Parts: sequence; C-alpha cells; structure tokens
Amino acid sequence: MTPQDISKLIVRVSMRDRNAFDLLYRQTSAKLYGVCLRILNDRAEADEALQEVFVKIWTKADRFAVSDLSPISWLVAVARNHSIDRIRARRPATDDIDGALNIADPTPGPEAAAVASGERAAIDRCLGELEADRAAAVRGAYLNGDSYAELAERFAVPLNTMRTWLRRSLISLRECLER
Amino acid sequence: MTPADDNDLERKGGEDMLAAEYVLGVLPANERRQAAERIENDPSFAREVDAWELRLSGMAEAYEPVEPPADLKRALDTRLFAGGKTAKPGAGLWSSLAFWRGLTAAALAVAIIALAIPYFTVVSSDITTERLVASLSHDDTDVHYFVVYDAEKSDIGLSHVTGARAEGRDFELWVIEGDSPPASLGVIPVGSNVHLAVTGELRRKIEAGAVFAISLEPQGGSPTGQPTGPVVAAGGLTTI
Repeated sequence: MTPQDISKLIVRVSMRDRNAFDLLYRQTSAKLYGVCLRILNDRAEADEALQEVFVKIWTKADRFAVSDLSPISWLVAVARNHSIDRIRARRPATDDIDGALNIADPTPGPEAAAVASGERAAIDRCLGELEADRAAAVRGAYLNGDSYAELAERFAVPLNTMRTWLRRSLISLRECLER
Repeated sequence: MTPADDNDLERKGGEDMLAAEYVLGVLPANERRQAAERIENDPSFAREVDAWELRLSGMAEAYEPVEPPADLKRALDTRLFAGGKTAKPGAGLWSSLAFWRGLTAAALAVAIIALAIPYFTVVSSDITTERLVASLSHDDTDVHYFVVYDAEKSDIGLSHVTGARAEGRDFELWVIEGDSPPASLGVIPVGSNVHLAVTGELRRKIEAGAVFAISLEPQGGSPTGQPTGPVVAAGGLTTI
C-alpha cells in the first residue's frame, strides 16, 4: 500500500466506511501495535491501548484531512499520544525504567536502511549534532515515552536542568531541520 | 550557558516550546491534558503541534511492527459496532461541521489537497464513483461550502463553512460540464447542513466529472435559468 492508498482509506473511514476501516486495520495495526507495545512495555495494556487507538481513528479520521502529516505519521501520532497519556496516568511511575532501557533502539538492517525516508535521515543527522546524552534523552522521550522526571532520574540531573536540556535540544533540532 | 540564558529560555521558551514538549511526550499528565484541550480550542497552537509532529516524525520509523493478537480486531468491532448501531455514511464529516467552520482558508486548502491528492495520483480499479466531494470557494469572497455528492442516494449534501448571502438574495448551485451552459441544481436552502436532490441528466453531468459553482441570485433563484449574479464560489469534484 502506498501512502496515497492509506490516505484514501483514512478519508473513507471519516465517511464511516467500515470496509475501509477493516482494510486500514489490516494494513497499519502491526505498526501501531509496535508503538503501543514499546511505550507501554506490557502486552495486556498494549492490547487495550490499540483498541482505543482504533476507536479514536474511527471517530477522528476527519482530522487527518486538515493535518500536514503523512498518513502513517498521523496514525503513529494518534497511537503515540494515546500510549503516552496512558503511562502518564499510571501511578506511581513504575520501576520499569530499567526494563525499558533494555529495549535496544533497533538498528535498521540494510534493507530498512535503504528504504529509510528522507525524514529519518534528516532527524538522524540532526540528532547526531547534539551531545550524545542529550540525543539519547530526546530519543528516549520520543520512542519510549519517558517523562521529564524519569529522564532526570536516569541522567542524574535536577528536573529543571533536564527541562532546559531538552528545550535547547528541540530548538537545535528545529534549526538543524530547517537548514 | 549563563543563568541569564536559562531564565530567558524558561520565560520565552515556555510558550513556544509547549507544543514541542507535548509532541516529544515528556510533560506530566496534567500539563498534557491542558495541552490536549488547547489543541481542540486554539487553531494556531494546533498547527504548531502539527509542525512538531512533522519535524520529529522521522524518529517513528524506529518503531518495529508487531502483529497484534488475532482476536483483538473482533473485540474492537464489538466495542465500536455492537448493537447494530451503524452510523450513516458521511456522519464523520458532517458531525464535525463546527470544526470545518473554524478553519482558516490556508488550513482548508491543505484539507482539500489532502482529500484530492490520493485520487489524482493513484489510478486504481477499485475506485468507485459512489461519492464525490468538492470544496467550493473563491479568492474574492469568504463564501465557502463543502459538498458531498452521494450517487446511491442521488443526494448533494452541502455544509456551509463561511460566508453569508446578502439580504434578500439567494445562493444557487450550478453544475458545469465542459463547454455546456451551467445547469441549475437549485437554490441552496439556508442552513449549515442542507441537501439537494438530483435527478437524471444532472446526475450524469456530475458523474462525468463536472465543476460546481455558486452564484448570487435574486430570492428564489435565477429568473432566466442561467446565472445572473456573480459566482461567489466554485470547485471541482473529486472521487472518494
């Protein structure tokens, strides 16, 4: 399926087309489940989250039409934001941080690297311009849904320092991506 | 970096950076809730969030796909569709009319491009002409309608986005096919979500890939059968 095909499916879902919804699920549920699983790090919770994500997609598909995002990026954003909301609602913060750290950032194989998009190449290049621990903090936040509090603990810095680190990193990333 | 820099970043960065921090995901639960509410109510903030989603989206390719359990889709369908309460086609767009109306012209242009692009670039045998959509607008007016043509029901649904008709005047909808003179589809009823029925020859014109236009006419519609007032909005139809 091309991105255009996925766009078409999302627009049809916004018109309450159930066949399109079924097909969209078949085409994208594995990627979105991967997002939920990585952030929540728990099968049962990821099962529940994925259903809620597709409920959101069914009810909010019309929002896609006014977004600048590619269809897959839009779907991933729905899944990421929902999963992050779920872990933020957990209390207290679990001790799973060590466990989460053990999930290696998968290095793309030659095939995946060959098809890696321009977006990925650009963000990788710009993250490479940051200091290593700051780039790691940005990736940890984005991919695993780490909070400021968790990152501050892991990197053993005060929370405000972590906030300043990440804000500066984000500003640098924006400048780099716009070059 | 000096403490003065820190303060500066804290103060100035706070507002600008909130969208970025929301997308990165680092905010605590209460601040995420506030940001999510703002996305709903503050279009410029929502666009800022979108821009950050776009900037950081390259990282998302690192998420490895994992097949979800096979019975999960059935549970999802039960959750969404149990009780035979299937929504009417079109409910999605129509129910969010307030959302459409709140958009800026630029956002609408993006919306229409997003709707239109897939159909211009993909030639696929499974594309049906069951439904066609059009965004009708004009550079010189603020009149904007969003139109959905449903072939099965011979119905045109018009969603009024912006632009009022002048006192004592009506908007009339026309279909224009190639070089033929415009054919009237009728006076557009007043209202935010209205319908016009379509018959025979007009259906054929619409399905042949025509253009819609709205003209400003005397109350009750054009007395001549042809547009007499200015065209206030127009647009081409796109297959869904």
